[in-house]
Amino acid sequence: MRRKTFVAFVAPSLVAMAALIALPLLSVLAQSFFVTTEVMETVVQKNCDPFGCKTEEVLAPVRGDDGRIVRATRWVGFDNYRALLQPDTVAAAFAAGGRGWAALANIDFYRALRFTLTFTLITLPLVLLVGLALALSVNRALQSLRGPVIFVSLLPFIITPLIGALSIRWLFIGDGILTAALEWFLERDIALFAQGWTIEVLMLFYRVWHVAPFAFVVFYAALQTVSQDALEAALIDGATRLQRLRYVIIPHLAPLIVFVALIHLMDAYRVFEEIIGFSAQAHRISLQWMTFDLLQPDDSGNRAIARASASAMLTMVGVTLLLAPLLRRTWRDYGGGDSGR
Amino acid sequence: MMATTATTATVATTATTATVARAFHLTTGLRVTVTVFLCAWLLLAAFPLLWILVMSFKLPVDAFAPNPLTVLFGPQTQAAAGGLTPIAALVTVACIWLAVRWRPVARAWRGTVAQVLKPLPRMLAATLAWLTVFIAAPLVLVTVAWMLVQTAESLLAFAPAFDWLARPFIGFTLQHYHAVWVGNEFYRQFINSALITFGVVLVSLTIGTTAGYALARARSSLAFWILIIALVFRALPHSVLVSGYLPPFIDYGLYGKHIAVVIVLAAINQPFTIWMLRSFFANIPAELDEAAMVDGCSPFQAFWRVIMPVMWPGVITTGLFSFLLAYNDYLVTALLLDGPSMTMVPSITQYFNRETTMTDQVEAVAAAVSITAPLFLLVMIFQKQLVSGLVQGAVKG
Amino acid sequence: MKPTKIIRTPLLAAALFMFAMPGAHACDFRNTTPVSMLSAGFEAWKVVSGAMEECGNFNAELDQEFRTKQPAAFAAQPSQYTLGGVANGTLVPLLNDGSIRALNSLVDKHGAHLLPNQLIRNDDDVVAIAMMINAQHLMYRRDILDDLNIAPPKTYDQVLAAAKQIQAAGVVDYPLGGTYKSGWNLAQEFVNMYLGLDGELIDSGNRPALNNARGQAALRMMKRLTVYMDPEYLVSDSTYVQQQFQQGKIAMANLWASRAGAMDNAEESTVVGLVDFAAAPAVIPGGAPATTLWWDGMVIASNVSDAEAEAAFRLMMHGISDPVLSANKDAAIWLTDAFAPARIAAGAMASAQGGAPSYPASTAMGLLHTALGNNLADYLTGKESAKQTLADVEAAYITAAEEAGVL
Repeated sequence: MRRKTFVAFVAPSLVAMAALIALPLLSVLAQSFFVTTEVMETVVQKNCDPFGCKTEEVLAPVRGDDGRIVRATRWVGFDNYRALLQPDTVAAAFAAGGRGWAALANIDFYRALRFTLTFTLITLPLVLLVGLALALSVNRALQSLRGPVIFVSLLPFIITPLIGALSIRWLFIGDGILTAALEWFLERDIALFAQGWTIEVLMLFYRVWHVAPFAFVVFYAALQTVSQDALEAALIDGATRLQRLRYVIIPHLAPLIVFVALIHLMDAYRVFEEIIGFSAQAHRISLQWMTFDLLQPDDSGNRAIARASASAMLTMVGVTLLLAPLLRRTWRDYGGGDSGR
Repeated sequence: MMATTATTATVATTATTATVARAFHLTTGLRVTVTVFLCAWLLLAAFPLLWILVMSFKLPVDAFAPNPLTVLFGPQTQAAAGGLTPIAALVTVACIWLAVRWRPVARAWRGTVAQVLKPLPRMLAATLAWLTVFIAAPLVLVTVAWMLVQTAESLLAFAPAFDWLARPFIGFTLQHYHAVWVGNEFYRQFINSALITFGVVLVSLTIGTTAGYALARARSSLAFWILIIALVFRALPHSVLVSGYLPPFIDYGLYGKHIAVVIVLAAINQPFTIWMLRSFFANIPAELDEAAMVDGCSPFQAFWRVIMPVMWPGVITTGLFSFLLAYNDYLVTALLLDGPSMTMVPSITQYFNRETTMTDQVEAVAAAVSITAPLFLLVMIFQKQLVSGLVQGAVKG
Repeated sequence: MKPTKIIRTPLLAAALFMFAMPGAHACDFRNTTPVSMLSAGFEAWKVVSGAMEECGNFNAELDQEFRTKQPAAFAAQPSQYTLGGVANGTLVPLLNDGSIRALNSLVDKHGAHLLPNQLIRNDDDVVAIAMMINAQHLMYRRDILDDLNIAPPKTYDQVLAAAKQIQAAGVVDYPLGGTYKSGWNLAQEFVNMYLGLDGELIDSGNRPALNNARGQAALRMMKRLTVYMDPEYLVSDSTYVQQQFQQGKIAMANLWASRAGAMDNAEESTVVGLVDFAAAPAVIPGGAPATTLWWDGMVIASNVSDAEAEAAFRLMMHGISDPVLSANKDAAIWLTDAFAPARIAAGAMASAQGGAPSYPASTAMGLLHTALGNNLADYLTGKESAKQTLADVEAAYITAAEEAGVL
């Protein structure tokens, strides 16, 4: 394909990505080094409400000649990052007499980072294992069962994440039937939403439930293409079932395991809907939730755009680091840049 | 000599096949493990969804009862709002069974309907036939079934020995659905969701197919770089992007506009779309378009006249995934839309926020089921395409 | 069908005729201009928006998280909503943005009958119409307290003593309920407690002033109360506490007056007539009740046409007209002189007479409220000391205040 044709074909898509992904990314980068504030002045106002009238000094935004609120933008360097990372507090925490990790867990960013990382890294092997186990089982199940199993398995995968999380929450919240069942089984009072770790377990469970079907379908499809010759050869060599799995099937699936891991890392690192669905914010927050929360207006109607931008950039740096090994592998698979295939 | 060799070979093969068959044959213990594991998974996968479906038909007292049997049979619901009779339950189960088995029936009918509609243009006839068997016929059947139930119930009331068949035994009410769809006008959100989803699918496929095709055919390092950068973009948390959109959107009056959200979601979806389409296009032999160009087609004509006609399955599959992304999105729509322009998924959190009574909570459950229903239909109709999409993305991309 | 059945279009109204709510009051005019509203979702708003729908072409969005949505929605061009439900605190951002209009001429034209204390004024402009007042106050199960010979507690120490006794008697699951959901609710509880200790939250230079003995005492008292609550208190909002009351799971709570009517709602409550209302407990013996007074009312967006604004105002007047309010006396403490305050008003009135202050709404207070809501949970879960928690609150406030231009 000639370069001109190529460019013409990819242009619309590229323009869309440049304008709506690359450009916002740059603007977020820029925003994270500035703070924009409304210019406020103290004015004397007489305010009346059902409890009486008061003449008081209040802060009010200054309006320009056009009636718009005057805003001032100033360069703050790394202040926004500092507000999130709080290097001074961290240094104090790890200096002699500091409180160490406990103090770190008090800072939102590290709290979110801790949860996001453990969430990602714990769900990853679980998703791969459950997916593989399902694929191997279905591969061995009756032909007539396979269709229904795939159909039912797809449901947790395609369901709206928020609603999936809610549907599990409704089973447990208060005296929900599963909590009641647990209480009956363990013969003690249980409050699953009273402490962080139980909510965290529920969130992990939800994510595995939601993503394992994806791994399953991918692995199942790949199992259909395992070379029968290789399996038979292994058999003749006297390989046991486990050895065949270890030396024939897993190597055949290896590229797909990398693929599923790549997609899962990308998605799990963005963990967000679970926090909303399980109302976990008092106990557990994730990096993406932190950005979302900063973008929500507070009780004075302000959005902390500057800090949100800094938080967004930090999240991005994190995901890039996390994916670097897998991206390098993809890079090598595609021939290190000499061609598209 | 030859024959002997052949025979020996055959014997050897037979022996191997037998060993192989025996070795692949599962031991009883393993078979039991596999079956138990699969059954446990099926229960786990379907239970939360089935359960919220059951809850949505009950009054709050029953829906949030700690005893599962109370939730299932809903005694309070039956007392206060009526319930299903054994006949109605039986017919409902029959309808569900029929719905699951609908595809073969539909395929047979579609042929007949298409025959009847032959004088019409091909595309129109196909669409009409599809609508008839997948929308109109089920609707007619459900209506007929409902009328049957009504008649049977009123008749059985006069047959003392069988009147238990016409007596409610399971609490059932549609009042929460009524409250959600009629009272709270959920259809507005449904329309918003439909518009945005349709827009996103349309835009991302339109700009994605050409790009996917070009990327599949190009051998330059530029193409490679585009794909790698797209992969990095695919990994971006969406909140990163929204923090970029929000200030200009609020300043320039794009906040709360559907078109803005469509473009945003379509762009966010581009990396995924072009990767998937590229692997579908790569499956189509390049000789096809080369031949077309030798015959004097321009590259675009070759793409449109020769490649696209064999590409529809791939486009449909990619479209399904765009659909899912747009339909399921919470973060972008929650931050960029509001009030009258809100879509279904973010509006469900409003149900939570407005829940000041137990009834509101069950209405939230009913809304959740309403949001899930189209997805359920989607899996039923497009299971094959979804699976092929997952596999395609995996094996090729 | 809920009694507050909402009917939106004439066609549906006809179809739903048989479900129409008892005591519906036909609107005396037909509204032809589409009007929409965003407000909180408690019972009073259901009553008012339900009545407004009778006039036609009206669409209400009832959302307890309305405060996070209102500023952007009203600043949009045109505004996403015509009407907004506001309270003391939530009026400030709208006023600062200039996204709500002065109602003086509309009041002259259609609102001559409004009481003077219903007109919320900012200098000379009428910026909102108040419809009700609200406060958190003590609700208690009279039957339980009587059985155990406990006098209704006047101070939080008495509340703790009573809670201990109730727990020992084992008559309810948890002696206390509390709107301790992390975020706005939890912050509100702290503000109540701290103001009850005569504390000053923000000094005259808009710097935070709560990391002191009073602040720590307020936190300690909150923690002592949580011992007697459902352990899931960090997710329990007003609705949750209301349900706990209705289902007979708790015996006492400091809950909003707007929730009092629900206790006597026979459809949901198992404790009809058993819950009594008293002034909020004081923290210091003899001190003012530890609560703040609020008003709720409506504003009209500036980014809508004058015709829409007028239609919205007329709908508003119908929504809070005397016949509507008289039919729903128990839904809130309405600002009207059409009838004497109902039984449910007793607690809030007693709180006000006891000297409870009104909520000190301002831009800085909004920032502080958010900072409190995000940080206080750490102390209650035992992760942080009281001092450290308050230091975190102050730090969070200062960061936000600097960004907002307050400092």
